[in-house]
Amino acid sequence: MQDIQYIGEHLLPGRLGHFFVITAFVSAILSILAYRKRVLFPDDLSWRKLGRIAFSVHGISILSVIGILFYIMIGQMYEYQYAWDHVSDDLPLKYIFSAFWEGQEGSFLLWMFWHVILGGVLILTAKRWEAGVMVWLSAVQLILVSMIAGIYFTDAIRMGSSPFLLLRDTMQAPIFNNPNYLSLIEGNGLNPLLQNYWMTIHPPTLFLGFASVTIPFCFAMTGLWEKDHLAWLKPVMPWTLFSTGILGLGVLMGGAWAYEALSFGGYWAWDPVENMSLVPWIVLLAALHGNFIARHTGLSLKTTYIFYILSFLLVLYSTFLARSGILGEESVHAFTEMGLEWQLIGFIAVFTLAGIYLMISRNKSIPVVEKEEKIQSREFWMFVGAMVLAFSAVLITFSTSIPVWNKLIDVYGSLTGSGDMSMYHKAMPLDPIDHHNRFQLWNAVLIAILSSVAQYLRFGAMAWDSFKKRFTKHILLSLAIGLVFAYLLSLWIFLPSWQYIVMLVASAFAVISNVDYMIFFAKAKLTSMASGLSHGGFALMLIGIMASGLNKQTISQNRFAQEGMAEGLNAGENAFLIKGMPMFMNNYWVTYKSDTLEGFTKKYEVEFIKVNAEGDTIEQFTTYPNILYDRQLTKVATANPNTKKYLDRDIFTFISGLPPEQQDRANIRKVDSLLEYTLHYFQPGETKRINQFDVSLDSIVLGTHHSEYHEEEDDLVISGAVTIADTLGQQQHIIHPTLIVRQGLLYSLADQINDLNTRVRLKSNTLDSLFPVEAALTYEPLVIKSGETQSWKNLKITMEGIDKRIDHPNYISAEGDIAIQAVLSIQAENGKNYTARPLFFIREGSPLNMKAFVADLGLHVKLERIDPETETFHLFFARMDEVARLPIEIAEEVPRNDYIVLEAILFPGINLFWAGSILMLLGMFLGMYKRLQKR
Amino acid sequence: MPILILLLMGGGILMLISASKDMSTYSTFAQVKRSGETAKVVGVLAKNKPMYYNAEEDPNLFRFFMTDQEGEIHEVTLNAPKPQDFELSEQVVATGSFVGDEFVASSILMKCPSKYKNEEVLVRSNM
Repeated sequence: MQDIQYIGEHLLPGRLGHFFVITAFVSAILSILAYRKRVLFPDDLSWRKLGRIAFSVHGISILSVIGILFYIMIGQMYEYQYAWDHVSDDLPLKYIFSAFWEGQEGSFLLWMFWHVILGGVLILTAKRWEAGVMVWLSAVQLILVSMIAGIYFTDAIRMGSSPFLLLRDTMQAPIFNNPNYLSLIEGNGLNPLLQNYWMTIHPPTLFLGFASVTIPFCFAMTGLWEKDHLAWLKPVMPWTLFSTGILGLGVLMGGAWAYEALSFGGYWAWDPVENMSLVPWIVLLAALHGNFIARHTGLSLKTTYIFYILSFLLVLYSTFLARSGILGEESVHAFTEMGLEWQLIGFIAVFTLAGIYLMISRNKSIPVVEKEEKIQSREFWMFVGAMVLAFSAVLITFSTSIPVWNKLIDVYGSLTGSGDMSMYHKAMPLDPIDHHNRFQLWNAVLIAILSSVAQYLRFGAMAWDSFKKRFTKHILLSLAIGLVFAYLLSLWIFLPSWQYIVMLVASAFAVISNVDYMIFFAKAKLTSMASGLSHGGFALMLIGIMASGLNKQTISQNRFAQEGMAEGLNAGENAFLIKGMPMFMNNYWVTYKSDTLEGFTKKYEVEFIKVNAEGDTIEQFTTYPNILYDRQLTKVATANPNTKKYLDRDIFTFISGLPPEQQDRANIRKVDSLLEYTLHYFQPGETKRINQFDVSLDSIVLGTHHSEYHEEEDDLVISGAVTIADTLGQQQHIIHPTLIVRQGLLYSLADQINDLNTRVRLKSNTLDSLFPVEAALTYEPLVIKSGETQSWKNLKITMEGIDKRIDHPNYISAEGDIAIQAVLSIQAENGKNYTARPLFFIREGSPLNMKAFVADLGLHVKLERIDPETETFHLFFARMDEVARLPIEIAEEVPRNDYIVLEAILFPGINLFWAGSILMLLGMFLGMYKRLQKR
Repeated sequence: MPILILLLMGGGILMLISASKDMSTYSTFAQVKRSGETAKVVGVLAKNKPMYYNAEEDPNLFRFFMTDQEGEIHEVTLNAPKPQDFELSEQVVATGSFVGDEFVASSILMKCPSKYKNEEVLVRSNM
C-alpha cells in the first residue's frame, strides 16, 4: 500500500500541525525549566526572559495547531480522520466551532487554548508570582499537549491521540487501494443532536471554567513550593472568584442546554458527567471561604491548600470519568474511548503525588495559629460552611464513582488472585435524582442558614460583643419576615415532606437576611453587595429548585388512559393527539393543529387553551416542538422541545412519539405490507359499495392534489379524485391516490382517511391502460374556428378561443418561444363538460405541439397548425375504444398516521432558579471586580 | 468548636453510610424475582421476539423481550413511549422490579450504534 500515489491529498498541513504539537511540547518543557531557575535564582532576570520566550513559543504553537486544524476542517480535507469524523460537505460553517470541539482532541485543544490565554494574563499581571505559577501551568500544559501528541513508542503503546492522523492510517479498508479514494468519500459530519447554538457556546465556557481552576491550583502549589504560605492568598482571590463565576456559568449553561434543547425534561438530572463538573466548583467555593478565613485569622491554612489542590484534581478526575468510557452503563452523556485511560490516570497521579509531596514536605513550615476561633466569629461559621460544601462534594463524588469502585475491586481481585469479583460490583442508585436530592437537601439547608447568619458576624467576635443588640434585632427581624415569606411561598409551592418545609424556611430566611444585609450593612453600595448577592442568589435558587421541581406538573395525560389504569400505576406523561382534534387534559384543551417541513426540520404547531369552570378561555398559547430529520429526510435524527415561557412558569413541550412511517421511511413499506388491499375497477363517475363505504371515482386527473406530493422537474403524475363516504352518510372525504413517474421509476403515493382507517392506492398497471403508446392511437382531423361548435363522434366540441398563459404540465418555456394554448370545451355523451388545452408553439422556427389528454374520456387532442388567413385551428382527435377504468386498491383497518405523542410539563417558578443562579454568579464577578479595584 | 466539628463529621459519616445503602446492583431476572426488590438488569433486546407499542391504544405502554446475562428471556414493560431506534440497541439496562409475573421497568438505558458515536439514551417512565 505504500507504493500508491494518492491523488488530491494535502499532507503539508498535517506535517506542520504535528511539528507545532512537538514544538508546543518542547517549549512547555523549556518554560518549566526556565521559570524554575527563575524561582531558584530570583536575582537573575534572564531566566524570566527565557521563560517568557518559551511560553510565548508554546502559546504560538498551540494557536498554530488550532489554526491548522480549523484550516483542515474548513477545507473539508477528509484525508484527515478528524475532519472526516466531524465535518461534512453540507455542514453549515456556523457549526465549524462545534465540530472542532466535538472530538476529544479538539476539546483538549480548547482547554489548552484557555490556559495559553490565562497564562498570558498571568505573565502581565502576576509580578512576583509569575515564575512559580508559570512552572505549574506549563507542567499542566505539557501533559495536556501529550494527550494530542500522537507519538508511538510501539504499535500498542503511544502517547496521546493526534488530530492530524490520516484516515487511511487509522483504518484498513479496500477503498484505500484506490489512489483516488478522496473523490469517493464524504465526511461523517456533526451529530445532529449537537447542531445548535448551545454546542457553540457551552464548551468554550465550561473549558474556560476548567482552565481557570488551574490558576488558583498553580498559586497554591507555588505557595507551598516557595514556603511563602500567606502572601499568595491575596493575589489568588480574584482568580478564585473569576473561576467560581465562569465554571458556575459553564455548569449552569449545561443545565440550560439540557432543559432547552434536550429531552431530559429538566435542567438537572444528577447524571455522572453533570455531577463531576459541579464537584470541582463546590470544592473551589470551599477553598474560597478557606482563603477568607486564612487571610483574616491565619487559621485553616492547610485546609485551604488542600481545597485548592483538590478542586484542580477533581477537574482532572471529572475529565477522566467523562472520557475514559468507565461510566459506560451509567451515563447518558456519550463519550467515546480514546485509548488514553492510562495516560489520564497518569495525569491525575502526577499532580496528586506532587500535591501530596509538597503538603508533607512543607507541613512544618506552614504557620499554625494556636488560638481557637470563637464561636461568635464570622470565620468560625464560614469554616463550618466550607466543611459542609466539602462534605457535599464528597457525597456526590462517592455515589458518582461507583463504576470506579467496581474497577478497583477488580484490581484488588486480580492482585490477590481471587478471580471474578463481579458479585461485589454495585450499581448507581436506582433513582439518582431522589438519592442526591435527599442528601443534598441538608447541605443546602445548612448553607442557607450559615450564609445568612454569618453575614452579620462580619467583624469578628469583637464586633459581635459590641453590636450584639443590633445584630440580634436584624436576625430576629429577618427570621420573622422570612417565616412570613416562607408561609406565603408554601401557599404556592406544594411541599411533599417536612424536610422541604425546613428547606423552604431556611431559604426564605436566607433571602430576606441577605436583602437586609445588602440594604442596612452594605448600604446598598454595589461593590459591597458581592457576598449578599451570591448568598441571597443561592437561596433564591433553592426556592426556584423547589418551585419548579416539586410543583412540576404533567399536562399531557389522556384522561381515558388514567381511568383505565391499574391502581398504583401512573398514567404516564405522554398524550396521544390526533391532528386537528382537540383533547382535554389537566384543564387544557390541547390541539395538534399542523406541521410544516422546513429544510430538515418538521415543526409541529400545538395549541393550548385553558378554560375555567364557566368554559371561558383564560389562557391560550401555541408551542412549536420540532423533529429534525437526517440529511436524506428518511429518518428522525432528534426531537427538539419547545417551551412557552411566562414570567412565573414555563410550559415545556416535546414530541415523544410519531407514527412509524414518519419516524423512518423504511417503515412505510413495512406498514403497507401488513395491510390487506382489495382491488376494484372504477370508471370515472362510477360509485360502488365496498363493505361499509360508498366509494366513487370522481375523475382522473393529470397532476395531483395529494398533500405529500412535492413536484420535481419532468415528473409525470396521474391521480384519481376518489370520494369515500360511510354508509351512514355522516362522513365524506375526498382523497387523491397518485402515481408518479420520476426519472424512469414508478412511485405509488397512497392516500389515507384516518377517520375511517382506510387507505387507497392506484395499482401500478394504471399507466398502461391510461397512456397507450402513441402509435396505437388513430387521430382524426378537425378544423374549427374560434367560437364555433362542431360534433366529433359523440362529443360536442366548442372552440372557446386561445390563451397565452401556458399551463401545459409538460411544457418548459425557452427563450424566443411563441406559444399559445387552444381552449376547447367538450360536452360528453352524459352531458358533462370537460376542458382540453392543447399547446402549439414555435421554437427556433419550427412549429411544435403538445397534446392535451382528458383522462375521463380517454380523449387525446393535438393542435397541429393555425391558419392565420382563414383563422382556423387544425386539431387532431383520438379516443380510446374503451373508456379508461382505474384499478383502485382499498385497504381497511389501517393504523392512523396523523398523530403525535406529546409530552407537556408545567414548570412553575423556574425563572426563580435562573434568576437566583445568575445573581449568585453576578455576586462572584462583583467580588472579583472589587478586589481588582483595590489592588 | 472541636465538639461541633466532631458532630458535623459524625453526621457526615452517618449520611455517607446511609447513602451507600442506596446503591443498587446489577442483576438478572431470576435474582430480581427471587429477591422481590428493584434492581438493574443488564441485557440485550431479544430481536426475534415481538415488540409492542401502539400509541393509539396507550402512548405510555411499551413492551419488549430482553435476554439477560444468564440467557433468560423475559418480557419488560415500560410506561413510556418506545424510544427511537430501539430495534438497533446493542445493550439495554432496565431498572425495575417484578409486579406479579411482569417485569416493570421504571427506566431503561439503551446503547445504540450510530454513525456519530455510541449514543446512549435514557428513557424514564414516571413511576
